[in-house]
Amino acid sequence: MSNWKRILVTAASATTALAVLAGCGTNSATSTSQSTTSTTGASSGNVITVGTLYASTGAFATSSMPEYQGLQFWAHEVNAKGGVLVKATGKKEKIQLVSYNDQSSASTAINLYNQLITQNHVNVLVSDFGSVLTSVAVPIAQENKMVLFDQTGTGASFFTPNNPYIVLTSLPTSQIWPNSLANYIIQSGIKKVGILYCENDFDQSQEATLVQKLQAAGITPVYNTGVPTSTSNYSVLVHNLAATNPQMVVELGYPNNDIAFLQAVQSTGVKFNKTFMIFPGQLPTMFEKDFSKQQLSGLYTYPTPPYINYTNVNYGLPLPQFEQKFEQFSGKNHINFLNVAGYTTGLVIQKALETSPSLSQSALRQAVSSFSGQMNTLDGTFQINSEGAQTGETLPVGQFTLNSSGNLAMNILK
Amino acid sequence: MRKRMLANVLIILLLFLLFAVGPSIYQNQSLIFQMMVFMALAQGVNILYGFTGYLPFGYVGFFGIGAYGAAIAVNLLHVPALVAVILGGFSALLAGLVLSPLLRLSGAYFSIGSLAASEILYNVVSNDSLQPITGGPYGVNLAGIFDEQTSYVVMLLLLVLATAFVTYLRSSRFGMSLIAIREDPVSAEMAGIHVVRTRVFVWLATAVLAGLVGATYAWHISVFYPNTVFDLSVSIFAIVFTLFGGGTTVLGPVVGTILLYGLYNAIGISSPQYFQLIYGVLIMALVLFLPNGLMSLLTRRGIYVP
Amino acid sequence: MLFTLISGILIGIFYGLMGLGLNFIFGVMKIVNLAHGDFVMLGAFGVYLAYSVWNLNPLIALGIELVIFLAIGIPLYYGFVPRLLKSRDPEMLSLILFFGLSQVIESLASFAFGTNPDTVNPTVFGSQPVNIFGQSIQMSWIVAVLISLLAMAFMYGYLYHTKIGIATRAIMGHRTEAMSSGINVHRVSAIAFAIGIALAITAGSMTPFVLGGIYPSMGVDLTTTSFAVIVIGSLGNPLGTILGGLIYGICLMLMQTYLPSWSSLVPYLLLILILLFRPSGLLGRRERNA
Repeated sequence: MSNWKRILVTAASATTALAVLAGCGTNSATSTSQSTTSTTGASSGNVITVGTLYASTGAFATSSMPEYQGLQFWAHEVNAKGGVLVKATGKKEKIQLVSYNDQSSASTAINLYNQLITQNHVNVLVSDFGSVLTSVAVPIAQENKMVLFDQTGTGASFFTPNNPYIVLTSLPTSQIWPNSLANYIIQSGIKKVGILYCENDFDQSQEATLVQKLQAAGITPVYNTGVPTSTSNYSVLVHNLAATNPQMVVELGYPNNDIAFLQAVQSTGVKFNKTFMIFPGQLPTMFEKDFSKQQLSGLYTYPTPPYINYTNVNYGLPLPQFEQKFEQFSGKNHINFLNVAGYTTGLVIQKALETSPSLSQSALRQAVSSFSGQMNTLDGTFQINSEGAQTGETLPVGQFTLNSSGNLAMNILK
Repeated sequence: MRKRMLANVLIILLLFLLFAVGPSIYQNQSLIFQMMVFMALAQGVNILYGFTGYLPFGYVGFFGIGAYGAAIAVNLLHVPALVAVILGGFSALLAGLVLSPLLRLSGAYFSIGSLAASEILYNVVSNDSLQPITGGPYGVNLAGIFDEQTSYVVMLLLLVLATAFVTYLRSSRFGMSLIAIREDPVSAEMAGIHVVRTRVFVWLATAVLAGLVGATYAWHISVFYPNTVFDLSVSIFAIVFTLFGGGTTVLGPVVGTILLYGLYNAIGISSPQYFQLIYGVLIMALVLFLPNGLMSLLTRRGIYVP
Repeated sequence: MLFTLISGILIGIFYGLMGLGLNFIFGVMKIVNLAHGDFVMLGAFGVYLAYSVWNLNPLIALGIELVIFLAIGIPLYYGFVPRLLKSRDPEMLSLILFFGLSQVIESLASFAFGTNPDTVNPTVFGSQPVNIFGQSIQMSWIVAVLISLLAMAFMYGYLYHTKIGIATRAIMGHRTEAMSSGINVHRVSAIAFAIGIALAITAGSMTPFVLGGIYPSMGVDLTTTSFAVIVIGSLGNPLGTILGGLIYGICLMLMQTYLPSWSSLVPYLLLILILLFRPSGLLGRRERNA
């Protein structure tokens, strides 16, 4: 009898535990959405909710946080002016950001993207920084028929003819980045190029394009090697690279790789004639913290705003005002490209809301197509192809120089 | 004995009901889906660690191989999704066979060895030179077979299957002999138990389970990079959930996963900046104050836990 | 080729140092310090902080760090290890416990230092490269190797020529026997634990110069690398660690030269091969049934 009772008690307690917990999970998950730039409380009718993720820790925090800040700044700017004039409602609507922290984990991001769609019912869905954290959002957005405003996820596989639910807002797809670099190398008559790239989607697709363009011009790299993205010690690689006597070295990596590479060059005492890297032009303050201005001067990179100032801006703030207002907003004394990228995403959303006759996702997507090629922001000309991939906002090649007052300046080459 | 059987059946039934109706109560289906994924993996760890004493730090290796097995089956062999899931389980079986010499190691050596094995699988799959087969660093896109509902149902069935298997181990002669091996392999051998054969069987069974779960996970998320499915934290989660609930029981991993994964998401959604800190402190407190898991609170008082 | 070999040897000695602390703690207490890499990371950030804020020479910073972490190590031991050793399966539970600790350290470090990689000027020990067999090697590597060799010499002296060191070796050989022969096991182990942490810190103080950029989440990778090193040598044998480091360093550099895209496989492949084909490690004698 007592045995029987015990079993019953166990089973009953287990049942209640399961039920309570299931309920608990539901409650805690729904009640506490971390909205950051909320102005009006209710989410019905008079605000537009924009859902996004950011990563405050982990591998992508370095890039995700400044990008998220750019988007926050956009919402702040818009709300300060009373909101966006939404065509579908004919009124000015405030923007409410609903955001969660995915801590750079793709599997956590899956849950949170779903949370934004199924629980918060956001009007606009924006992905986190970069390809890895964007990748998992692509099928979720497609399944839920939500347009994914993809900020900087440049992976080629996201853009397919049968997926109308994605728009790349702030960067061109990575395959077209090296066009300017290839042209520069060909036109400067450089014949011996050494390439060192990291094996990931972002860097490898650039390497493929670069090599293909160079070979079409009859240039075969004297050194072309892929290394794992986790590589932290480049000393031997730099040494081997130097042994091939390249006229120009192209290192394609993530910020960590660029820093480790540059440090290896510096500490081994190897001198390369010309060195190209992706990130110094995007995150200059990060590099300036770790390297002296003299060490950075002479480097080739992709200049992005603030190093490149588009003067034909017809939508949103031009660079000088953006710099001033953003610095005021963030309390920092410098801006980087990712701030601009986040802000540009906001601008694309804003323009879509202003043009779209309805708030339905397909109408929003059509609206984006309708102004593609005509919108010039501080990030260049916004232009997408039929699959939603960015083909505008191209990146030129630039070189760091020291100006007369001893500060770093950018000399844009093409 | 029959009463214990009843309790077991009740648990499986409840579990099934919970996850069958879950999505209609709480619409964030992928959160519930991932909870099932971790619960099934925790049961896998439970089978291996709870019944044989091997703690597989590299359990995620089978999960990832299953995901990639399914992806390759879809993209290169163009098989339907369900067949791909089975092939995913099969590829994990092959990986398990190749790695079975690891069982010669014990204790921390096995844990570290299995971790190294999973890193090798990851590095091979994501390597550039295998790009035509695995997609290498470019990742995988299975948008063609994307089906949230069916993959959810398959996952539910896998979870029930895994739980039922633990129930079987818990109440059968076979499970008893496993525990005998865990406690003292030499005496078990003398008592006529085939130590090596039994261990290899359990090892392969858990490999297949992780492979099937991985394949279903791949089907459910459909666009991913190698580091998404070979993420070491998958192993760590499964292990922590199992230990938190209590190994060698049916209920331990279930309760462990619901509590901790629920908490994980609750913290992640409400106060994400302290997430890692809270989680770390929690794990340490668990080991120091409840080293044998939640269920030991009951068993210590002589209450039978299924 | 010569450069590859020389840098392989130099970096190998450094990796030996990195594995030493982990191996020592395992050898004495049979617990696995999964937070080892995070202590290495803390050592690195200590040097970074001292250099960037107070402009202190890294060697002085290392001295200060050693005092601090020796003092932290002992209460840490008494807080965790005796409790752990009482449980059913201390070895397995130590994996989980120290994983938790590594999470805590990493998150606190992210609060304190942010998530961006930081570097320390590698020419702080002098910018003139040193010539070894006609190859110019950066000064900072030489310093890192000298520190590593010093730490190893210290360990040798400690274990073989001090009373407490001999007691430590007795515990490594057989814990319960040592206890019954009147050795204060907890006191000796606590000191060993603190030394293990201090060794991790020492390796950490040199990582900015050997590995480049440092960031709070680097600990996990460092832990696995250290594991590979000590398993190649032999788990529980501090001297084998040096050999493990050398083999690891040379293999890694050779791979980076000839098969760079597979170079990240090196630690794991070596680890598995050694585990399976020479289970006692290259210098090990005992059975590998921990």
